[in-house]
Amino acid sequence: MGYFVDQLINGLTLGSVYGLIAIGYTMVYGIIGMINFAHGEVFMIGAFISLIVLLLLAQLGVAAVPLAILVTLVLTAVFTALWGFVVERIAYRPLRGSFRLAPLISAIGMSIFLQNLVQLLQGARVKPLPPVLTGRIPLGSIGDHQLSVAVVQVVIVVVTVVLMAGFSLVVSRTALGRAQRACEQDRRMAELVGVNVDRTISLTFVFGAALAAVAGLLYTIYYGSIDFFIGFFAGLKAFTAAVLGGIGSLPGAMLGGLLIGLIEALWSAYSDIQYKDVAVFAILVLILLFRPTGLLGRQEVEKV
Amino acid sequence: MNAMTKLMLSACAAALLAAAPARADVTFALGIPATGGQIAAIGAQARLGAEAAVKAINDKGGIKGEKLVLEIADDQCDPKSAVSAANQVVSKGIRFVVGHLCSGASIAASGVYDEEGILMMTASATSPELTERGMKLVFRACGRDDQQGVVAAKFIADKFKGKKVAIVHDKQVYGQGLAEAAKKTLADAGVTPAYEGSVNAGERDFSALVARLKQEGIDIVYYGGYHTELGLIVRQARQAGLETRFVGADGLATNEFWSIAGEGGAGTLFTFSADVKAKPSAQSVYEELKKKGEPDNFAFYYYAAVQTLADAVARAGKEPEAVAADLRANGFETVVGTFRFDAKGDLIDPEYVIFEWRDGAYAPTKL
Amino acid sequence: MQASSASPVTDRLRAALREAAIAGIIMIGIALPLVGFRLQETPGQGLGIAYRFDQVVIAGVVVAIGRFLVALFRPELQQLRGRLAQGGARTVRGGRVSQTAIGIAACLLAFALPFLPIADRYIVDTATTVLIYTMLGLGLNIVVGLAGLLDLGYVAFYAIGAYSFALLATHYDFSFWMCLPIAGVMAAFLGIILGFPVLRLRGDYLAIVTLGFGEIIRIILINWGALTGGPNGITNIPRPSFFGAPFTRTAAEGEVPFHELFGLSFSSMHRVLFLYYLILVLVVLTAVIAARLRRLPIGRAWEALREDEVACRALGVNATRVKLSAFAIGAMFGGFAGTFFATRQGFISPESFTFIESALVLAIVVLGGMGSQLGVALAAIIVVALPEMTREFAELRMLLFGAAMVLVMVWRPRGLIGTRRPSVTLARFTS
Repeated sequence: MGYFVDQLINGLTLGSVYGLIAIGYTMVYGIIGMINFAHGEVFMIGAFISLIVLLLLAQLGVAAVPLAILVTLVLTAVFTALWGFVVERIAYRPLRGSFRLAPLISAIGMSIFLQNLVQLLQGARVKPLPPVLTGRIPLGSIGDHQLSVAVVQVVIVVVTVVLMAGFSLVVSRTALGRAQRACEQDRRMAELVGVNVDRTISLTFVFGAALAAVAGLLYTIYYGSIDFFIGFFAGLKAFTAAVLGGIGSLPGAMLGGLLIGLIEALWSAYSDIQYKDVAVFAILVLILLFRPTGLLGRQEVEKV
Repeated sequence: MNAMTKLMLSACAAALLAAAPARADVTFALGIPATGGQIAAIGAQARLGAEAAVKAINDKGGIKGEKLVLEIADDQCDPKSAVSAANQVVSKGIRFVVGHLCSGASIAASGVYDEEGILMMTASATSPELTERGMKLVFRACGRDDQQGVVAAKFIADKFKGKKVAIVHDKQVYGQGLAEAAKKTLADAGVTPAYEGSVNAGERDFSALVARLKQEGIDIVYYGGYHTELGLIVRQARQAGLETRFVGADGLATNEFWSIAGEGGAGTLFTFSADVKAKPSAQSVYEELKKKGEPDNFAFYYYAAVQTLADAVARAGKEPEAVAADLRANGFETVVGTFRFDAKGDLIDPEYVIFEWRDGAYAPTKL
Repeated sequence: MQASSASPVTDRLRAALREAAIAGIIMIGIALPLVGFRLQETPGQGLGIAYRFDQVVIAGVVVAIGRFLVALFRPELQQLRGRLAQGGARTVRGGRVSQTAIGIAACLLAFALPFLPIADRYIVDTATTVLIYTMLGLGLNIVVGLAGLLDLGYVAFYAIGAYSFALLATHYDFSFWMCLPIAGVMAAFLGIILGFPVLRLRGDYLAIVTLGFGEIIRIILINWGALTGGPNGITNIPRPSFFGAPFTRTAAEGEVPFHELFGLSFSSMHRVLFLYYLILVLVVLTAVIAARLRRLPIGRAWEALREDEVACRALGVNATRVKLSAFAIGAMFGGFAGTFFATRQGFISPESFTFIESALVLAIVVLGGMGSQLGVALAAIIVVALPEMTREFAELRMLLFGAAMVLVMVWRPRGLIGTRRPSVTLARFTS
């Protein structure tokens, strides 16, 4: 039982990170119907920027860890958002209104480009960061099994929940959110009623990138080692999460992320670790068979 | 059509230019991943060593007065690219190859070299398979995975009697080869692993594995793989309050292991060829290599491979067959020690010592 | 008078300056964190940071100047672009008539390639790789280009073909010629097994499921060590023989080596050439078959389904069966290509069948212009030969490759030879 709870906590932490990245996929898909393959790379850039900012702060002598993390969070989000903006302008905007696969290929190209760019600029070696948040919080015990959770795990889950809540508010309550939803429904109609579609789409990428940047920061702190290739794996899992939850749905992305984190942790706990990715994809296929648009996806109305 | 012809023509022209033979020189190709990700960093180490060796040889007048030239053949550590790179080596008329760096790439490329009568000598591909296929012109100036795994397993069986052992590897040629050799040796010594598992290379989250090791009450883990993953496993283990001891292989002989694992890396053991940097004979080369950044073992071994091959060519001439015979017949004094090759082309009795990480540095263990 | 003539120019200048300033600032903004600071590890002291602000400024200035020039001459550039597009349209229209002719010419050129004076082992070998990718592209083209099903896991079929052949040949001494159809059938069968449950998914859901399937196959190849050799892969895969005559210096008893059969002196080039012609014939066959299929009712159904699934189903087309057939046939060609790959390499391992291969093949199909076979061949040359040609710029080649993919898409979203139009249109019948 204690073992189960331990693995549950691991799964939730991992799932939170996946969920944060998945939001970027799901928003972009919701609004322009494309898989932004380069989103994993934006996350990777976020992780690099956060590591650089953290080290700079350490050099400047900022000793208070919470303050340092907060400053890093803001700076990383801002700079990574700029990257998200530029990627959209260069690789996707000229292709808007083009046929479905063109932006996908452009995105794959962008992903290869960004990976190699960061490798060139920052070197191929793994970048380690000494542990920033250490310590564990005891949670009592079950039988003779001591339960505890790492501080950094708590931080990850809390940051994710806060951001999710804030972001849901943005989408449901603000003018930007309304414009976004309008574009999702019908882009041309939205334009006719005065929504600035280009700006809305740009902002969607900016927000997606900012969330990915936060994920990048959390990832850097949690695992303490990044390289230019992390975007691929994380992006793949996050994308799977977005689809599992129903691509285009915000709560779906979070739910999908958590589910995948849990599946990975629990499968690894009770079965062959080497087949955990098979388990993830197999469950994805199963769910899609019974709910073809994912768990929380809108059912498409189809008339024959 | 037009564009296609143009492309074809320019491709051809480029190849022609590249194929212009260098006369009165001895050319070695260096098969490494110059691109292709993280592994490219190790490729850079190999290049550092090989280039330094070439420079040293040329400064002393080259090979019998002929200048030694090094050509990079980029294989991206990928078998398909390696075949392509090998064919380029063939087209350039090069007869000697130092490399390739990765086992998969070496095995794929050796097929081409074998057909064309080109001699290759790797200083890092440790997969046993490479020299098990009866190819006469394939040499390996380093140990084999099975040799290292055996040393580590004997050590575990000897020093940690009655402890619960787990074997974990990264499902790559290197890691799995180590783990399998270790498992076999442990079984011979009557030790059955309490847990066997594997991880994905390139992954970051090992919390599930760590929790599992904790649950099974493992005392000692033999890990087959590289420092990037084991560093994180150790780090996450310590974070989760797991004080298991880890034993690995020469992939851990890099400072990066300590940077990733942090203080928790203390006590981690690994098999490694006797420390090159500590050898008096290697000091001048060490000084030379240090000018371009801290060298690791790959740099020294590729330095040694170039030395060995150059010695053999100086003695036996430029025919690969004759050079191969010379390599098998003689001993070679190199920066990392004396090399002797057996009939398969493997190093005879590569020396492995158990090292231990402590305070950011490694030294032979006192256990 | 004077004011009105001067103001458009100054306006233009001012607007251009503004754009340039914005572009420069954005460039500095994105370059600052990643170019301006470089993470560096100094032994013993952990990670440090080096500064390169000069490069950030240079990048900003270069971008600003570039943007300024573009903005300043925008009307002229647009005119030029319009003219180019018109010209392009004309050639495409003119070219349509003789696409077959171009195809035949390309084939002839390909057949003649090894006899050109520039052809050495490396060139022929690279051309062989180009042809493997052409074959993969032609196979995937059926699935993506004709049937409109987005498949991100095509590499799975390629792997199945390669491993089927490798296992049958190493364990049961099957010859290449016997394995080729078996591997094709195996891959097609797998395509059906996978396709059956998932083909009712739409567009991007299908994409992720196929992607997952590709990953699953790779994971199984790595982990099922007893069968597949795990990460070590399979070595010593037999090379193909010329109808029983091996390409070796000396043959086993009862066999005559190729060179003795024809009274030639031994040369390892013979096998390289043989492999080249083998794959060339396979590619031409694939192209012809695919082109024929397109004219058959099944091909028409694929395209109809791609254009409008709802309408098709309303007309009574069995969508699942039509999709399955596309999936299976595409998979079969992937299997053939895999078989050839295995026999050429003589060694296969899971690292040759990663997601990036699927992405490359998909890129070939889309860059070439979906549905166009000539485009696939052209794109395969670009995708394979371009990185090969730039081997000298080792560090930059993948960077340039990625950038090229983006640029080609932005420049020609429909691909290099973009003719995604139904093979039959009403216009043809009325005129």
